[in-house]
Amino acid sequence: MSAIDWAIIGLYLVWIVWDGIRLSRDTKKVEGYFLASRSLPWWAVGLSVMATQLSAITMTSSTGQGYADGIGLLQQYYALPIAMIIISVTFVPFFRKANIYTAYEYLESRFDGKVRSLTALLFLFSRGMATGVVISAPAVVLSVMVGADVSVICVLLAVPTAIYTMYGGVQAVAWTDVKQMYLIVFGLLAACVALIVRLPDAISIDDAMRLAGTAGKLQAFNFSTDPSVRFTFWTGTLGALFLFLSYFGTDQSQVQRYLTAKSDDEARTSLLMSAYWKIPLQALVMLIGVLMFVFYLFTPPPMLFNRSHDERVRASARAGEYVALEQRFSAAVDERRTAAEALAGAERSGDQASIEARKNAFVGSEQAVKGIRAEAITLVKDITGDSSYNDVNYVFPTYIVTQLPVGLIGLLMAAIFAAAMSTIAGELSALATSTVMDFYKRWSRGEHDDAHVLRVSRFAILGWALFASLVAIWAVELGSLIEVVNRFGSFFYGSILGVFLLAIGWPRANSAGALTGLVAGMSAVAYFTVFTSVAFLWHNLIGAVVVFVTGMIVSELTRSGSGEPGTGSGKRRAGSGEPGTGNQAPEGAR
Amino acid sequence: MTSAGRVFLRVTIVWIVTLAALYAFQAFYTR
Repeated sequence: MSAIDWAIIGLYLVWIVWDGIRLSRDTKKVEGYFLASRSLPWWAVGLSVMATQLSAITMTSSTGQGYADGIGLLQQYYALPIAMIIISVTFVPFFRKANIYTAYEYLESRFDGKVRSLTALLFLFSRGMATGVVISAPAVVLSVMVGADVSVICVLLAVPTAIYTMYGGVQAVAWTDVKQMYLIVFGLLAACVALIVRLPDAISIDDAMRLAGTAGKLQAFNFSTDPSVRFTFWTGTLGALFLFLSYFGTDQSQVQRYLTAKSDDEARTSLLMSAYWKIPLQALVMLIGVLMFVFYLFTPPPMLFNRSHDERVRASARAGEYVALEQRFSAAVDERRTAAEALAGAERSGDQASIEARKNAFVGSEQAVKGIRAEAITLVKDITGDSSYNDVNYVFPTYIVTQLPVGLIGLLMAAIFAAAMSTIAGELSALATSTVMDFYKRWSRGEHDDAHVLRVSRFAILGWALFASLVAIWAVELGSLIEVVNRFGSFFYGSILGVFLLAIGWPRANSAGALTGLVAGMSAVAYFTVFTSVAFLWHNLIGAVVVFVTGMIVSELTRSGSGEPGTGSGKRRAGSGEPGTGNQAPEGAR
Repeated sequence: MTSAGRVFLRVTIVWIVTLAALYAFQAFYTR
């Protein structure tokens, strides 16, 4: 990578830290630091919501999946607009009216402190882990480019983000999210244009899409009812609906965003921005993957994009096998290019018989290329013992650094950094808010002034940044990162959602029901994870339903002895006045 | 219909149109 590209990345990093600090206001008060004094406009909140969700994983792993498997992953986002409507009419008014800092605080007003603490703990664990994965994705990108140790890059990436998040709180996070979102969209559009411009002269966009379609890369709908298939229309609309309800409705990193909005209406409108734009934006990301596939039909790709084990494999006793595979791969790629050109020509001629024959030849040649790649991956795994070896996440970074002109490389790298940092910042801020408000302020003895709470909050952000960096180093060893993130989430998301649904949807639910339901829900998810092949997106639905049904039954069975529902053992009510005033420990904890 | 109702109806319509467009795109290029 050239000095100009490094300079662009360096400028971006300096500018974003400076900008985050510059735009921070009211950070000497807890409400200003954690909730921006509930003053942000809907468009800033909406862009912040989207930026927090769109991580560098979306840019590297989703494009890689688009390249390798096509746009099937897009189905995972089909339920998002419906989830946003449901959240707008249910969670948003409940949370806003409760005048809270964290989503879990609401559960104390509804049940008791134990339910609040347990759900907050689950959030901290799963989100802390997921933040680590979010850091590791751009670390993978950089390690490909400069050959540096991934662990060093993980820490280097987390530090600038932690600095502006620590200094400016949620305002710094939200306003930098806005700028970062502009940069991300611009970068994605630039990559898309660059790919289209670099198609061979004889290949139009229409030809490119036909080739991708013939190779099975444009399957945006899979109606298979096999529960073990990962991405289908049904997992995307039913399973993912519960994932999004949980993520946007109960995950502090998102709830905190719309708690910062000026009014209920602005909070709702900010969520609907995602409802309109998430699917088209994700389609653009997947399209980049598909266009890379077409690009590499006509430009010889590397056999494996992940070259991290290259030297070791070539120095091993089985190096000869690897070289033979490379020769076969090169011949197969040539054959595939010829078949693609022939198919595009046949499509233009309109001769159906010729089209069918060429299609079969092209599909056959693509299968041959895929087969050799699979053999090479197996060989690398055998030689190195790295059973999680995968190169999906390396496709887009490799394309960027080897095929794009100077300047654009730096811009796209900065966009990937922006995607990572916007998510990391949102997560760190949410993790610190929950740590401080749900645990430190809630359970510690005595009153603390704002200055003390803010000091603790900044230490909490620093601590979570270090924790996430350590997880990132471990996550790099796993497979396709986007699935890893969602897997972490699926262990708890559905069950946490079930508790909130119980709180909002079953007036007679009580603390015993919520806690029993939560344990039952997580046990059910653990069972389905370990003993069945049910796709992970279904785990959210299973967890939520088990919690709700169990919670309902247990609440009814224990009702006679529990007095009024909803009072629990906690003494505070979230809607009882100024935010934060109810965070004293209940009498029993003093 | 309330203004919130109109907004949600609009989101639902945009959602259906988006999915229909994607389905048409798939059908056109994979036929």
